[in-house]
Amino acid sequence: MDVLIQIVASGLTLGAMYAVATIGLSLVYGSLNMLNMAHGAILTLGGYICYAAIVHAGLHPVLALLAAALVCALVGLLIYFSAALPLLRAENFETNIFIATIGIGSVIENLMLKGFGPYPIPQPLAVDGQVVIGNVHIPLQNVFILGVAIVLMAAVAILLQRTSTGRAIRATSMNREAAQLMGVRVGRVYAQVLALSGALAAVSGIMISSIATLTPVMGGDPMLKAFIVCVVAGLGNVYGAVIAAIALGLLEAATQYVLGVRWSFATLLLLVILVLIWRPYGLFGKQQVVRL
Amino acid sequence: MTSIRRDILIGVVCLALAIALPLVMPGRYIITQSTLFFIWAIVVVQWNLVLGIGGIFSLAQMALFATGAYATAMLGFYWKVPMLAAIPMAGVVSVAVGMLIGLACLRLRGPYVALLTLAIAQVMYVLIVNDTDCFTTTGGCMPLFGGVRGIGQFGDIGLRALFPSKWYIAHYYVGLALLAVAVTISIVVIRGPLGLAFRALRDNHGYAMSRGISRFKYQLWIFAVSAFFTGIAGGFYAVHFRVVGPTVFSFSTLLFLIAMIVIGGLGSIWGPLLGAAVLMLADEGMRELSDYRNIGLGLLLAVFVIAWPNGLNGWLQRSRAGRD
Amino acid sequence: MVDAALDIINASAGYSGRIVLDAIKLSARKGELTAIVGPNGHGKSTLLKAISGLVPVTSGEIRLDGLRIDRLRPDQIVERGVIQVPQGDLLFPAMTVHENLLMGAYANSGGLAERLDFVFTLLPKLKERRNQTAGTLSGGERRMCGIGRGLMAGGEVLMLDEPSLGLAPIVIEQIYEVIFNLRREGRTILLVEENAERIAEHADMIHLLDNGRIAWSGLGAELMARPEIVETYLGV
Repeated sequence: MDVLIQIVASGLTLGAMYAVATIGLSLVYGSLNMLNMAHGAILTLGGYICYAAIVHAGLHPVLALLAAALVCALVGLLIYFSAALPLLRAENFETNIFIATIGIGSVIENLMLKGFGPYPIPQPLAVDGQVVIGNVHIPLQNVFILGVAIVLMAAVAILLQRTSTGRAIRATSMNREAAQLMGVRVGRVYAQVLALSGALAAVSGIMISSIATLTPVMGGDPMLKAFIVCVVAGLGNVYGAVIAAIALGLLEAATQYVLGVRWSFATLLLLVILVLIWRPYGLFGKQQVVRL
Repeated sequence: MTSIRRDILIGVVCLALAIALPLVMPGRYIITQSTLFFIWAIVVVQWNLVLGIGGIFSLAQMALFATGAYATAMLGFYWKVPMLAAIPMAGVVSVAVGMLIGLACLRLRGPYVALLTLAIAQVMYVLIVNDTDCFTTTGGCMPLFGGVRGIGQFGDIGLRALFPSKWYIAHYYVGLALLAVAVTISIVVIRGPLGLAFRALRDNHGYAMSRGISRFKYQLWIFAVSAFFTGIAGGFYAVHFRVVGPTVFSFSTLLFLIAMIVIGGLGSIWGPLLGAAVLMLADEGMRELSDYRNIGLGLLLAVFVIAWPNGLNGWLQRSRAGRD
Repeated sequence: MVDAALDIINASAGYSGRIVLDAIKLSARKGELTAIVGPNGHGKSTLLKAISGLVPVTSGEIRLDGLRIDRLRPDQIVERGVIQVPQGDLLFPAMTVHENLLMGAYANSGGLAERLDFVFTLLPKLKERRNQTAGTLSGGERRMCGIGRGLMAGGEVLMLDEPSLGLAPIVIEQIYEVIFNLRREGRTILLVEENAERIAEHADMIHLLDNGRIAWSGLGAELMARPEIVETYLGV
């Protein structure tokens, strides 16, 4: 029973962090058809900005978090204007933006390597203490992360469901041309989505680094996992992605316990490959009918 | 001039220049860097078959390269297989792995393939690096796949023994020969029925399928063909550098190769070679900036793709078309 | 021309390098039902897309109430009141009928409640199904939802691209009832249809679009009296 609580606790925390990282990715793919390979780097950037804001600028942790989110939102905007916008006018957008963001991500990552050095730094935004359930000690930090993640996801859900901006984003994802005919300025939607995605990535980066440590290359793994979540849920399906993220977190915690850390990623991947062979469009994805 | 004749002409001219190079500039650094260029060029030319011609968004090429390198090293280290046999065997192993990857990606489209292949490569890397159990203890603890330190001492193809002071020139010619064969195969594929089939599949999917062109069969074929020489290139790399480690999975190497293909131009025959040459030269130039190398590379890649979405080759073709 | 709401003045339009419409000249007059008919694939949809700003106008002009709109962004054109109900509805499948209608009012959210009322009165089926996901509607209901969505935008000119496409005859009757009602209330309507017969007697003006050009213009009765035109161009 204790083991179960332990697994669920860490699984939910992992899942929450993945979910926050995934929402932005899913929104960007859904509306723009863009795989943002710089997502991992932005995630890392968020962690470092938060660190720098607290340690070098002496900001209050909440302000530091907001600062990081803001900076990363701006980076998202920058990516829209410098890469997405010009490439949308050419052919092969999907391929080209994929490659361009690989380049951009590499630049961001190496700038951080240059600026902060390759050695792990602890993330100062952390709470101490524990919650005890039964015989299990759960770090308060985990609970905190879960709480923040839930608040964020609720906020995004409200944005998407109840505001006209959110409706415009959803409409653009479903049918771009129809959205244009409704008077939606799709360029603005794209910029909004990329900015939002940046901000969410920053928060996710801060969360992840608060449990592990800050390193310049920490973004690659979570990004890959977030992508896997998106793929399993069906690219573009935001709510499915959240569910899949939590499931992935629980699964990862379980396999880590049973098989050890080394094999968990491999097992996860094997499962993903099997899922994709069975359902090539993801568990919740819909096959797009291509009119010939 | 027909396109095949033009290809042959370009090929012969480049080959002649390459053969002449060591006679004109026998400096060790240039020769060994050129050999490295040949190795990467082989990988990129084969990758182009899958990515540019097949339109399959696979990022698995480095994983196949690594498979070839590791297979060669392990065959030599554990079973004492002579390298001249081990390298072709490694090529076959790469084909097997390539086809498995092709199978896994069979029903997937575009970005899904990219992510899956990236994940596969990452898992291979993680499995190798995190394995700390000692498999053998001769000469110190070494995990099955060599762990972080890699595998060394698996043999040689014999040219170091034959030409003790000029072995690197011999390796240069071996690399050149392999590249020549790889490019020839690439031309044959692209201009032949397989290439046509893929172009048909890309241009008009439904029609091609209704004419019996099975995407599955051709997809597996192209994975297999491109894997063979990539694996051989890996084997040659292993023999040339005498050690194989997990750095072959490094993201900066992948980045380097992506830049080559993109800048040279996807889908064309000579584009990838052009891209490889440009990148090796650019890398030389950035060697001074060591820290900033990856930043420079990333920036180069991003700026290039945004400004010239069709690559150097596309730009050349357009200016040639403009002149006609 | 004070009478005309929408003027297309020698406009040509096309997709990357291929000119689909060639020097089109026609007007949609205020309060009238103007119909564009012609065989499929000859540019009718392209015309509406060009007006909506989705396809670039390569030469000539498009004017709304005398002001040029051909260089504007699609969202600006919608703001000015030129609303299109596209071919095949293009509803937002995962949104409810209600949300689709709300999207219709995206560019013009004033008087939302009244307009929603109006649409529900005109199309009571939609009110019944207001909380149903658009993807689960029947063909006729989808068409009505598309038209309702277009009406939610208010607007001066309502353009409909093949409203009868893919529907059973009885449903087509219903749809056209709605359209003719709107015409009777004084709306300016620009309609694209493959089959001219149905609208011949109701349209105030018919233009025949063939191979990207206007081949014939006139009243519905005239068109029906010229069987040779009907056969040549409409293959009926």
